[in-house]
Amino acid sequence: MASSTSHSNGGRDLTGAAQFGQTQWSIVLAAAGKRDLAIAEQSLEKLCRVYWLPLYTYIRRQGESRQDAQDLTQEFFARLLEKDFLGSVDQTKGRFRSFLLASLKHFLSNQRDRARAQKRGGGQTPLSLDFTEAETSLTFQPADEQTPEKAFEKRWALTLLEQSLARLRKEYIDHGRQELFEQLKATLTEGRGGVAYAELSARLGMSEAAVKMAVHRLRQRYREVLRAEIAETVALESEVEDELREVFRALSH
Amino acid sequence: MDTIRICKQCRKPLPQNSPEGLCPECLARVALGSEPAAPRTRIPPAPAELAAQFPQLEILELLGMGGMGMVYKARQPRLDRLVALKILPIDSLPDASFAERFEREAKALAKLNHPGIVTLYDFGQTREYYYFIMEYVDGMNLRQLIQAKSLEPRQALELVMQICTALQFAHDEKIVHRDIKPENILITKKGQVKIADFGLAKLLGGQPDTALTASQMVMGTINYMAPEQRQNAQGVDHRADIYSLGVVFYEMLTGEVPMGRFEPPSKKVQIDVRLDEVVLHALEREPARRYQHVSEVKSNVETITATTPARSESPAASPTCASPMDRVLSLNLQALKSAQMDKARTALGRCKAHRVFELITCVLMAVGLGIYLRHRLTVPSLAIPALILDIFTIAAAAGAVRQLILLGEISFEEPITVIQRKTEAVKLHRLQLARLMVLSLPFYMAYVALGFDLFFGVNVLAHASRFYIYANLVVSLALLVPALWLFRNLNFRNAGHPVIRVFIKGTGGKALLAAMEFLKRTEEIEAEEQN
Repeated sequence: MASSTSHSNGGRDLTGAAQFGQTQWSIVLAAAGKRDLAIAEQSLEKLCRVYWLPLYTYIRRQGESRQDAQDLTQEFFARLLEKDFLGSVDQTKGRFRSFLLASLKHFLSNQRDRARAQKRGGGQTPLSLDFTEAETSLTFQPADEQTPEKAFEKRWALTLLEQSLARLRKEYIDHGRQELFEQLKATLTEGRGGVAYAELSARLGMSEAAVKMAVHRLRQRYREVLRAEIAETVALESEVEDELREVFRALSH
Repeated sequence: MDTIRICKQCRKPLPQNSPEGLCPECLARVALGSEPAAPRTRIPPAPAELAAQFPQLEILELLGMGGMGMVYKARQPRLDRLVALKILPIDSLPDASFAERFEREAKALAKLNHPGIVTLYDFGQTREYYYFIMEYVDGMNLRQLIQAKSLEPRQALELVMQICTALQFAHDEKIVHRDIKPENILITKKGQVKIADFGLAKLLGGQPDTALTASQMVMGTINYMAPEQRQNAQGVDHRADIYSLGVVFYEMLTGEVPMGRFEPPSKKVQIDVRLDEVVLHALEREPARRYQHVSEVKSNVETITATTPARSESPAASPTCASPMDRVLSLNLQALKSAQMDKARTALGRCKAHRVFELITCVLMAVGLGIYLRHRLTVPSLAIPALILDIFTIAAAAGAVRQLILLGEISFEEPITVIQRKTEAVKLHRLQLARLMVLSLPFYMAYVALGFDLFFGVNVLAHASRFYIYANLVVSLALLVPALWLFRNLNFRNAGHPVIRVFIKGTGGKALLAAMEFLKRTEEIEAEEQN
């Protein structure tokens, strides 16, 4: 019952090597070896639920129409979640992100060979995905010369950030500190000296030192949560930092 | 449709649906451990990516980044020494003449061999970067020391004298630093000053249109620039360094940068008034009226220190118990931090001892109650109360065991936030145990009965009047209400409630609360370090 707590740091204990063996992706990889399918599929499905939007973005950037892209995304997931997909997972290495993109490319090239006119999916929808929302976010992406890969990377990075912030927000809400989160979240992206501590302290009714500490904590926790999110998609702890950099390179263009 | 919003930090437009309305790029930057984006700077490459371009080095980690590029900690395997690798992205320096100037300047800098100056080992150019391989300094910079607010005037003087020696050496070699500021003054763990980034400002300053001048770094530097340097960055001599040294000196003494019409240092802090003269002389607006050589600053400071009686109230200042090096060492934030950590460790040790005591008491009680129960097995009016009490006692003993395990899991090798979280877990567990224990409230009648039996040999329940029993049952039922309320609400989420607050404090345990306080201070020091 005392698994973990702190006014700002709730949630799972994300540090330490012991926990690291248990990421969603490492479960998938391990299961691919042992053919332990049920668990692997659960983990894979969880991951897919989070990271489908980058795939959809990729397909749309390939020039597919909205309808086709939706069908293709659904069908890709249907295939992916079929019983025999695990044979294609290279257990020795690889991150979920690379695996997903490679699988998708493979899938798309196979699809092109087939007749498009065929009715796809058979009405099955393996995951319920919100395509309306997806379109809104696509429309507003600048229509520049972004390659589908870059669009995928960028969307992936954004998804990671969204996931992490949502989780961070939930932690604060769970600890009855939603107001604190609302007031402080903007400080996450404020530079040194840019934070109006005095103003925040008046608004929150806390001392300036306490606000400083809370800002510091929020930032620390944000870093931890984000790394934990990434950790779910890689197999080795040592890959987290690299993945973080690789993913975020996409945002800096 | 929303209007397009701009990130306040990096001035780029925010994408629609940006997470929590925050700039993704700045979020990424913060996640990587650096400050949010200064306009037009970049994400530093991972050590692994640089490996291909620097086969002669093992690149270990990113040490820092600024407007001028990034610095990595690296190792030269063949020499088995640590070095600092500074890289400047070529595409941020579009000027074609840069390569030539880089070569010329670097050669001059390589000649600067002095213990007070960060040595340049090598320099060159790869596909993407100009680079310097420099001496690696294990320590901290003067900015961190000033922010720790523990720099005493005597220590400041000691550092100033060291800076003067190093600067004079460079000036003798006809090299002007041009960017003296606390960030560029490193102090090793042994207390040796090492000035970094000699001449870089000149090298980079020739291109007003690059990202470098736009960055916060250069903006921050303006405070330390001599007036003539602000007007014409290129045509300055070594006296610009003397002005910057004056600013650093002033800041070391007062904690503030002199701006506008500033007061002499002795008006702000208690120091020898003769120092005012030195600082103000270095800060003369006209180069010709300033000190003409850094060595003069040094000899003036030396005279003042030599003729100041060593004050005895500060043990660190007494020359017999600590060398100047040691005194600088003692400033290390690391030391402050580890002192707090030690206190936290001691407090947690105390907390463990308390739990052991608790465990022994509970076990003894549980055993005693067990024996009592056996004797009274045939008397339900006494056996039932004994059983109830025994269950609560065993629960308390189990709680103590669990807390001991949780305490045992705390390792001081781990990051401070992890230690804090684990300590909080112990505190939470204690609160949970308290939740359970409040459920024993309505059973108070059972305890009264046990007490009477043990001390007076009277079975109250057997002999009590019906009225007594009913009256107490009513009270018990009434007590069930607060007991259940507490059971439901005792958690940190309700910490704002006055009653809950009392419980949280009360069940924390003094030692545990003390440990948490020390951990918090450690965290504060860490936050200070980062700011």
